[in-house]
Amino acid sequence: MSDVTIVVGYTANEAGADALALANRVATAAEAVLEVVMILPSEARNSLVPADAGYERYLREQSREWLAEASRHLGSDVASKLHIRYAESYAEGLVAAAHEFGASLIVVGAAGGGLLGRSRIGSVANELLHSSDVPVVIAPAGSREVAAAQGVTRITACVGTRPGADALLDAGVVLARATKAPLRLVSLVPIDLPHGLDPELVTLTSTVHAEEVLDEARQALPDGVEATVETATGDSIEDAVRALDWHSGELVLVGSSRLAAPRHLFLGSTAAKMLRELPVPMIVVPRTTRTS
Amino acid sequence: MTQRNPSDAPLTEATRAVDSADHGISKKGLSAGSVGLIGAIVIGISCIAPAYTLTAALGPTVSEVGTQVPAIILLGFIPMLLVAFGYRELNRRMPDSGTSFTWATRAFGPWIGWMAGWGLIAATILVLSNLAGIAVDFLFLLISQVAGNPEIADIAANPFVNVVVCLLFMLGATWVSYRDMQTTQKLQYWLVGFQVLVLVIFSGAALIEVANGNAFDATPIELSWFNPFAVSDFSALAAGLSLSIFIFWGWDVTLTMNEETKGAETTPGRAATLTVVIIVALYLLISVSLISFAGVGDGEFGLGNPDIQDNVFFALAGPVLGPLAVLVSLAVLTSSASSLQSTFVSPARTLLAMGHYGALPKKFAQVSPRFFTPGYATIVSAVVASVFYAVMRFVSENVLWDTITTLGMMICFYYGITAFAAVWFFRRTWFRSVREFFFTLLFPLVGGVILSVLFFTTLVDSMDPDYGSGSQIGGVGLVFILGMVVLLTGVVIMVWQAIKRPAFFRGEVLARASAD
Repeated sequence: MSDVTIVVGYTANEAGADALALANRVATAAEAVLEVVMILPSEARNSLVPADAGYERYLREQSREWLAEASRHLGSDVASKLHIRYAESYAEGLVAAAHEFGASLIVVGAAGGGLLGRSRIGSVANELLHSSDVPVVIAPAGSREVAAAQGVTRITACVGTRPGADALLDAGVVLARATKAPLRLVSLVPIDLPHGLDPELVTLTSTVHAEEVLDEARQALPDGVEATVETATGDSIEDAVRALDWHSGELVLVGSSRLAAPRHLFLGSTAAKMLRELPVPMIVVPRTTRTS
Repeated sequence: MTQRNPSDAPLTEATRAVDSADHGISKKGLSAGSVGLIGAIVIGISCIAPAYTLTAALGPTVSEVGTQVPAIILLGFIPMLLVAFGYRELNRRMPDSGTSFTWATRAFGPWIGWMAGWGLIAATILVLSNLAGIAVDFLFLLISQVAGNPEIADIAANPFVNVVVCLLFMLGATWVSYRDMQTTQKLQYWLVGFQVLVLVIFSGAALIEVANGNAFDATPIELSWFNPFAVSDFSALAAGLSLSIFIFWGWDVTLTMNEETKGAETTPGRAATLTVVIIVALYLLISVSLISFAGVGDGEFGLGNPDIQDNVFFALAGPVLGPLAVLVSLAVLTSSASSLQSTFVSPARTLLAMGHYGALPKKFAQVSPRFFTPGYATIVSAVVASVFYAVMRFVSENVLWDTITTLGMMICFYYGITAFAAVWFFRRTWFRSVREFFFTLLFPLVGGVILSVLFFTTLVDSMDPDYGSGSQIGGVGLVFILGMVVLLTGVVIMVWQAIKRPAFFRGEVLARASAD
């Protein structure tokens, strides 16, 4: 068993099933401990409706049933525990649970309505992306249809064109080691052409720069970790994403925006575009992880 | 759901795997308690919604008891208080989201329990439609005041516009309730504070106008206003009282917020007392000042004028406050809006419990997995309340008035059963201590008797076509017809459910029990 702990924010709907299935798949591959958490609204946030001990208990019982039902979908060899926690907000509760269990990853489902196979961030996931200091992965809709046996076939870390992605690389290395999956470092280079410039020249300089950064990143990897590198170009981030090949069992890591407060996540515009386009789950890693 | 101790709650083998209840409720859960004294008072006042309650109930009450409204307000509080004691004991012993339904089933068996639940649901659905109706009136009034065009306020009288806007309100309230969207505590403090302040200003202005000789029908304040024996006859007294039960409805929540309040030893009692003192003081102040300003005659602004009785603030805000009348519209609107949500919760939770115990289809027991609200039950309540309002708007000339009167009757019905359920459930422990004698026998028994007398008197009197607003169908008072339709519909649905789901009605799900 590895020392990786995964917290999955479960809800008894399709998004929750997606999150659970993805978490189960990653946990199986990484031999990680799975902490399945349901966050119930705390009465503390109540300012209008009087608290009702009877209803509270009903919710707790119902949540237990949901959790018990959910646990039947988990692989038999996955070490899992089920929890109910109360919090004023879903995101707050999940981050607190992640700290409590020393988790290195939070898995949540995407809100409904995304295009087939792609995630659309719901308000809950959005709040989480703005407040978590633990890497967060939003399970795309349909994750529940990917079999756990598929495992994790590759870890792709999206290294930006600017240097300084230590936390991202660390997370990628940890995941690749735990899941025994190959590591791929990619750089997405959107060619946004200002008028009057030679397109080939711009492409060339951008690509060269990206390759330098990738090389740097590869050299920074700890001994014994091998990684392939790839640079993808396109008219836009979306194009660049489409230019690469993606395994269905792949996990993608991106760093959170430079605008985020240190150690907190914030989905930058590039990451947001990728999230829309990627057919595979995307893990957003805070600039500096809590444990490092 | 009915076990006395949460940790005794039945756990299947599967659910036992979920970490223990004690651990599951972290420090941030309800057990730590977070509602302080002021928080509890604010929730209490916002549930009672004094601005909304008075504008809806003052007119009908005046029409029954004339100037003795203050006396009725004081008197009406007594049965409410007595029953609330029984309610609190039951809630302490068997906290359950089904409240009256579950308790009455425990005490008297499935049939009476079912009807108690039905009474609660009917009452809350009636008040939902009334709340939305009042909100519509004040919305148009507010727009007309802001635009400076009095004709806009009259649009509310057009039944089609009225129903459409009302349904939109309902839709909004359902949305908010379904998603369990909460205002922040701070905003809620401001809203309640604003509501109380406006009511005080409104009363103060009315009294000043009286003193300045500008009142519509200045009526000198007399001590006899506070004397219930000055009411002409018993029927009028009963009708007035069942209306005043309505104005205190919702107060009981402050009494039962025990476990959730900081300093659970003293806070709930203090919060409930302070809430009721504030509410009674407000009610007395407003009723005295408005009667003194407008009199109880049937002149244009007289409180006895049937045209303004179903919504008196609507008519009187302008004459009393002039340009500041817009404040009253805002206060009533915010009051109805915040009350809508807390009101939505009770029928939904009762329906949920009924679904859970198999007294209604299982669908009613559904909890929204995302928002943790009784989703299906909430939507059903909203649809029924909307249909009810739309039908009533066309059937009755005085829809708000008639619903308020019927509502009073329904509250007497299910609160009465609840009071008796408390008495009967605790039958083996009545004489265990002085405390138990008073709280589980004497108080709820007297309260229950008073409420049943009010219920039957109102029921019989309401057959008279002239009763209440004077709406009638075929020579029978509309309030009676409404009450009967509501109760008999309940009986029909109950029998239907008894055939479809006999287990509950055989007492196999919720067995009769008593405290020992």
